[in-house]
Amino acid sequence: MRSRGAAVWARIILIVAGLGVAGFLYAFPLYWLVATSLKSKAELYQSITLFPQHPTLNSYASVLFDRGFWVLLKNSVLVCAATVLVTLAVGLVITYPITRLSVPPQLRVGVLNWALSLRFLPPVAVVVPYFAIVRTLQIYNQPIALIGIYSLFNLPFAIWMLKGFLAEIPIELEEAALVDGANRWTSFRRVLLPLATPGLLAAATIVFTFAWSEFLFALILTATPQSQTFPVGVQGLVTQFEIIWNDMAASGVIAMSVPLVLMVIARKYMVAGLTFGVIREK
Amino acid sequence: MQRISRREFVKRTAVTSAAFTSIPALLAACGESTGANKVSKLVVAAVQGNEDGPLKKVVGNYKSQTGIEVQVVEFPYADLFTKLVTTFTANDSSYDLCMMDDPWMPKFGTMGALQPLDSNFGFTRDSDIPTVVYDVGTWPPPHGPVPPTEQGKAQHLYGITIVGNVEMFMYRSDKSSAPADWNEVLANAKKYNAANFYGYVIRGKATNPVSSDSLPILWSFGGNIFDDTWKVQLDSSDSITAVDFLTRKLKQYAEPGAESYDAAERSQAMATGKAYQSTVWPGEITGIVEDPSVSQVKGKVAYIPIPQGPSGKGLGMMGNWLLGIPKGSKNGSAAADFIKWMLKTENMRNYVAQGGIPIRNSILNDASLASANPYFKALAASFAAVPNWRPRTDQWGAVETSYGTAMNAAVAGQLTPQAAMQKAASEIRTVMKAANYPS
Amino acid sequence: MSRLVAELPAPTGTEPVRAGRRRRSRQERLAYTILLPALGTVFVIVTIPFVIAVWQSITLDDGTFVGFRNYARALGNPLFFDALRATGLYALIVLPTEILLGLGFALLVHRAVKRAGLRATLYVLAVVPLVVPPVAVGVVARLIYAPGYGVLNYVLQSVGITHSEIQWLGVPILAMGSVASVDIWQWTPFVYLVLFAGLQTVPKESVEAAQVDGATWWTQFRYIELYYLRPLFLLILFFRVADVLRVFDHVYILTGGGPGTATQLLSLYIYRIEFRFFDGGQAAALAVMVLVSISILYSLVTRALPLERA
Repeated sequence: MRSRGAAVWARIILIVAGLGVAGFLYAFPLYWLVATSLKSKAELYQSITLFPQHPTLNSYASVLFDRGFWVLLKNSVLVCAATVLVTLAVGLVITYPITRLSVPPQLRVGVLNWALSLRFLPPVAVVVPYFAIVRTLQIYNQPIALIGIYSLFNLPFAIWMLKGFLAEIPIELEEAALVDGANRWTSFRRVLLPLATPGLLAAATIVFTFAWSEFLFALILTATPQSQTFPVGVQGLVTQFEIIWNDMAASGVIAMSVPLVLMVIARKYMVAGLTFGVIREK
Repeated sequence: MQRISRREFVKRTAVTSAAFTSIPALLAACGESTGANKVSKLVVAAVQGNEDGPLKKVVGNYKSQTGIEVQVVEFPYADLFTKLVTTFTANDSSYDLCMMDDPWMPKFGTMGALQPLDSNFGFTRDSDIPTVVYDVGTWPPPHGPVPPTEQGKAQHLYGITIVGNVEMFMYRSDKSSAPADWNEVLANAKKYNAANFYGYVIRGKATNPVSSDSLPILWSFGGNIFDDTWKVQLDSSDSITAVDFLTRKLKQYAEPGAESYDAAERSQAMATGKAYQSTVWPGEITGIVEDPSVSQVKGKVAYIPIPQGPSGKGLGMMGNWLLGIPKGSKNGSAAADFIKWMLKTENMRNYVAQGGIPIRNSILNDASLASANPYFKALAASFAAVPNWRPRTDQWGAVETSYGTAMNAAVAGQLTPQAAMQKAASEIRTVMKAANYPS
Repeated sequence: MSRLVAELPAPTGTEPVRAGRRRRSRQERLAYTILLPALGTVFVIVTIPFVIAVWQSITLDDGTFVGFRNYARALGNPLFFDALRATGLYALIVLPTEILLGLGFALLVHRAVKRAGLRATLYVLAVVPLVVPPVAVGVVARLIYAPGYGVLNYVLQSVGITHSEIQWLGVPILAMGSVASVDIWQWTPFVYLVLFAGLQTVPKESVEAAQVDGATWWTQFRYIELYYLRPLFLLILFFRVADVLRVFDHVYILTGGGPGTATQLLSLYIYRIEFRFFDGGQAAALAVMVLVSISILYSLVTRALPLERA
């Protein structure tokens, strides 16, 4: 009996310690980021303190207005939104036939395989030839260059995710509509789309998040704040030369908050998102 | 329900897809500015740090005088080089002006990426500005080895200095008098080294920082990266002696973690009274060491040209930041006007007041400015001594990376000076050979 | 109760059977008319960069054909092997740690936390690190590890564990550790989420039967849960290895590849060749080699994984 009690205690301690340590290791860096962003510049010159002495939102104002990052924010939103539209539209056009119409299995498998393989492409390997394309088309420093490549990289994910959702909508519903006299387009618009909307929204959210976080192509293909996205701005602040860590932290917080909010909304599909729908809840 | 034919369905699908894909194009088009006849805005690609601080402060004056807004787009040092070459390769018109570190001139000159200031916009040599300033902005270079592919090209002026950076030396004058040569530097380092007070600060971070920091020492000892015919000299005995001096002898009295120290850390150590002496760039002086809001040692630091080495010469290094006009710019003459404005004496005085580093001898030798800018005298002397510049090769990026990485390893103690220089020498020989330089 | 499904495409699959041959072929033709333009365009768009990369890798900047010279230079460059070594070391540190930690937490939470509300909260908390943009994670890491203002040194010195500043980003092995720690921080939750969901699919009856038989938690794990988790392990390994090969953003921000080349992973190396040295031919050769390797790896792995087929 005594050993039983000890074992239970040991378990509880292990659990609390494990989760506690993990919790701390995850919470502290994020706390530190926010805390640093609330410090004033003068405070940065003194020795480090764990709590901001006089918390202020100055660094956020400095980042967004003095440094003009609100333009970058706007660019990021536009580029990501456009990417979502393109990706979902093209994704639907590709996914609909292979899930709702009878196609040879080889084609369906081929498309899905090809889509999945793009997930493993290192962006830096693609940037080398893509820059040549951008140069030739003269779209350097234009948002469209980013929208194009982001759509390309997110399309495989969209195909997989949409396939998963569309496959779950019973084919009978569409058949019923067709039998009732509707044509394909109407049945698509009135029957399938409404049912697929949750899936579309989830995919849209995840694509937006992926596009939002993208850094390498934005770094290479943009030259002025007119087309730079927010992550490029964040990187520009990470300089060892000046003591602007509060601004740096503020930009990090802003960069983080958009995907954070979106992901809480689409959290059910997170694992599916990261594995391109290969692993998902059914 | 209306039945549409298959053809109609396909057509609608195609139209919808096309509509979706053209939305981004429309968005992009909205972002482009409409072409204007009169120039209202110039875009400068600049380096982030204290070098472009004064520039950012004076562009407001330009706008109030001429109505032209000058937008300063900043990038960290290495990124700026990448960004400029990428933009030039794309022949893009995004930048009307660009700040260039003078070692980048060879690459840009070889690429033909800049508009010639003398033939296109009538720039001529002003006697108040040191000759070496014009020389450093000229391509092909007026003296020193010329890359084989550039020999025979007509010389043109492609950039003018707006940050008169010449590397100098700083030391705590409240503790001792000026060191006459590097041996005295070493003796002083030993003498004043104490806990929490470094006898010498090494700016040892890999590639550009440690390269800039060590080249004056290399030269003062008679070493070099290349000789006049582009043959690598890094593994000569003079070069290795110089590297040994820095990474072994001076290192004993240097700060821990020197291999991660960049300029900001170095000047901060000086400014907070933790260091005795080091090399220094004027930008760090105005920005940190003499900035009353940051510095605890204002008035206690003196500035001199680089001390002599065994070669008998103290060779300072140019690190001018020049302003040039990319070929792709559509506002060339407006950009040239801005450069001319920056060079005017009264504007340069204002620029100095904002912390800028001038290039006019009249300003550097102006006694009334000496107390506010204690380094002017040393800078004027450095210009007059004709400082050295980094090798004028378009392969400088790769060369500096090899040299800077090897030096960093030597500072960190991972390689002996000899091993480091031999490694760098062999890597650089490979690079230069592949680029068709004589070897 | 949701079910965890892991599936990859494969030749065998169930087909919805259509009634009537005429309808089937009409459907097929419709499918092709929709599919081919879109898919064809996308396929062309995707293949063009590959073709361009190959072209760039066998020519000089001015267009002269040089055969395999760029490949020889790429493979003869000692920095290339440094990069491979660094990437290998990174993978060696990151992969086992993430998998073991993720497994540990998944088991811990699965066994110890029974309340659904708490589990859901933990789920959301686990998602948070995964969605932080890598640049932001890089900023966070700088605030912790950087010399001078990094808080880790401050904490260590305040508590008295160390007395001088540790150069987390300046000493090569520490820099590698710092960069790897960021990856572990961000991706362990991924392993946790996948394995935790996998543990939910283990039939309760088997577990209860084993516990009645007096199995310890280790036996229980080894003989029951591991069986259900094995395919997921392989899948996680697959994804994580691919991601490690792609890693760029947070390393670029934290160390830029330094000190020296200590953290110059493969993608940073290719970046440097293309955008610092501007050696287009060598960079293209590297890109082509990487693309081909990934394709081979992908087809080998998808053939080997024993999973449900789409």
